[in-house]
Amino acid sequence: MSRPPRDELAEATSHGVLYVRRLRRTQLSLSLLAVVAFGGLVGALPLALFLLPGLARHDVFGVPLSLWLVAVPLFPVFVLCAMAYERRAEGLERSFRTLVGDDEPPG
Amino acid sequence: MIAIAAVAAVTLGAIGLGAYGVRFARTTSDLFVASRAISPWFNAAAISGEYLSAASFLGIAGLEMKLGASALWLPIGFTAGYLALLLFVAAPLRRLGSYTIPDFTEARLGGRPLRLLSAALVLAIGGLYLVPQLKGAGLTLREVTGAPYWVGIAIVGLVVALNVALGGMRGITYVQAYQYWVKTFAIVLPACVLLIVLGGLPERAALFGRELPAAPAGGARIALEHPTQVTFPRAATVTVDATAIRAAAGEERTLPAGELTVPAGTTMPVARGVRAQTGAQWSRPVAAGGGTASPLFVYSLLIATFLGTMGLPHILARFYTSPDGAAARRTTVRVLGLLGLFYLFPAVYGLLGRVVVPELYVTGQTDSVVLKLPEAAWPGLGGELLGALVAAGAVAAFMSTASGLLVSIAGTSAYDVVPGGEPRARLFRFRWAAVLGMVVPALLALAAREVDISVLVGWAFALAASTFCPLLLLGIWWTRLTIAGAAAGMLAGALSATVAIGAGLALDDDGGSFAEGPVDALLAQPAVVTVPLAFIVMALVSLRTVAPRRTREAMLALHLPDGLGPSALR
Repeated sequence: MSRPPRDELAEATSHGVLYVRRLRRTQLSLSLLAVVAFGGLVGALPLALFLLPGLARHDVFGVPLSLWLVAVPLFPVFVLCAMAYERRAEGLERSFRTLVGDDEPPG
Repeated sequence: MIAIAAVAAVTLGAIGLGAYGVRFARTTSDLFVASRAISPWFNAAAISGEYLSAASFLGIAGLEMKLGASALWLPIGFTAGYLALLLFVAAPLRRLGSYTIPDFTEARLGGRPLRLLSAALVLAIGGLYLVPQLKGAGLTLREVTGAPYWVGIAIVGLVVALNVALGGMRGITYVQAYQYWVKTFAIVLPACVLLIVLGGLPERAALFGRELPAAPAGGARIALEHPTQVTFPRAATVTVDATAIRAAAGEERTLPAGELTVPAGTTMPVARGVRAQTGAQWSRPVAAGGGTASPLFVYSLLIATFLGTMGLPHILARFYTSPDGAAARRTTVRVLGLLGLFYLFPAVYGLLGRVVVPELYVTGQTDSVVLKLPEAAWPGLGGELLGALVAAGAVAAFMSTASGLLVSIAGTSAYDVVPGGEPRARLFRFRWAAVLGMVVPALLALAAREVDISVLVGWAFALAASTFCPLLLLGIWWTRLTIAGAAAGMLAGALSATVAIGAGLALDDDGGSFAEGPVDALLAQPAVVTVPLAFIVMALVSLRTVAPRRTREAMLALHLPDGLGPSALR
């Protein structure tokens, strides 16, 4: 009686919709988690610089540490955060493919 | 002379690559989305090239010089906006397979009026953003070559319109990728060479210590084109055309037009809208008290840029050029890397400019610090060559952003406002729309010479953030969104943003400290309030109306992994 999940997806039956809803929700929670983690990191920086004005008195290569912290380190953090997210998001899609029994490689 | 040659070389390079791209532009798909066959690295360079406008190339350093290190939160916000795109928009939007934002609304919700509403918003945002790019081009070329104001507008407008009309998205993609590297090279190389020539940062007291910027050894000579109102932070004696002017500390004076001479070591007077800051004040990224360094201001700026970027139509159109959703995601990760590389360097110009060209504080035109710095820091052929390089980079910045905007404008006019028709007719419409879409903003730029650039940019940015950002986020992730809700939310966002900008204009009668450069307006923009408002209206109205029938199908198309979507299964 039961049909392969893939056919259900094709017809957008209630089961298929359920699968996709679950995928959508996990993807959304992954994105929100990334926003919280990343936002915490970036959001903490202005606060840290505000609460610790002493950072301006430490010089690194003749430039105050507080200036360095704003000008440089966040950019690599953006890339690392994006790469970590990309891996997880693709992983979620892979497990979804396995779930619906799609063995063909993507693309 | 060298500068003219460099600008000409970059322009000819763009024309040449555009002509090369024309050979590929055969179908509608080529014109709108480059046949979706662009590789992630190439597309990432093109996206970054399109995104790095004059505000990034000239504006960040200028604002840093004027306001201080608090301006360095801007590039962080600009980059964070791409992270928001990656996390919430890039892959699903690409999978839906629409050409433009209005196309997205139709595929997701349906309803021709809604499509027309979003098309009108795309045209408004694109047009508002295009005028300042052209204005900037006119002003920069005048500064670098002495040509009249209209020449820059005519050259950039002509090149961009031809490239877009003939090559469409496909041709433009090559041009944009090329212009990313032109811009990056033009900002990185002079910064490094000047740091070496100067032997590091000079005059640390004015940068990080207790000193105010002062005239360098040999004094400063500044040509004042018209009477200029300035404030003297310290008591000083300056001369204008051999007439001595004595001013007490804190005194406000109007200097007559002529050649102003500030003797060596004398503290520089500052123009209206510029606050004299000691090195220690200037170099603090966050500080207590009002102004742009206050924590509240920094946070609202970060939030506004984080959410606002995704609403810019020329940014979104780029994601449709990826082959599939996963490629769109990979592309965005690379964009973050490329943007990060570029954004490491504008800060150097602000730091050096404060010491080397403090005369910009007198005229208030700190936006030109990137253009002025090389020749001032390194007199002679070397400085001239570097100056030519940054001038070429600035022109590349105007051209690439203008191209991206024009593709969106032409695509929307040809595809959304007048839908249907056979491919040949659409191609024809796209090309004419590209020409018209450039002529109108160019005329506006000529007419609006006196209108502040920042007003237009701020308006466009606020509009984008408070209309398309909620539409995209709710449209992609929330099944209950309805046509009525989307329309009400976008209208509420557009109206409130427009009213806020208008009120800001009406209240700002003293030319205030935030109305000088293109980026200034981003700082003083109302998105932090209007975006949540648009979200709330959109959600509340949606909950009271019925979601369209196509929601289920659209959600499948948005979220099914590549190759599983309805289009692949059909």
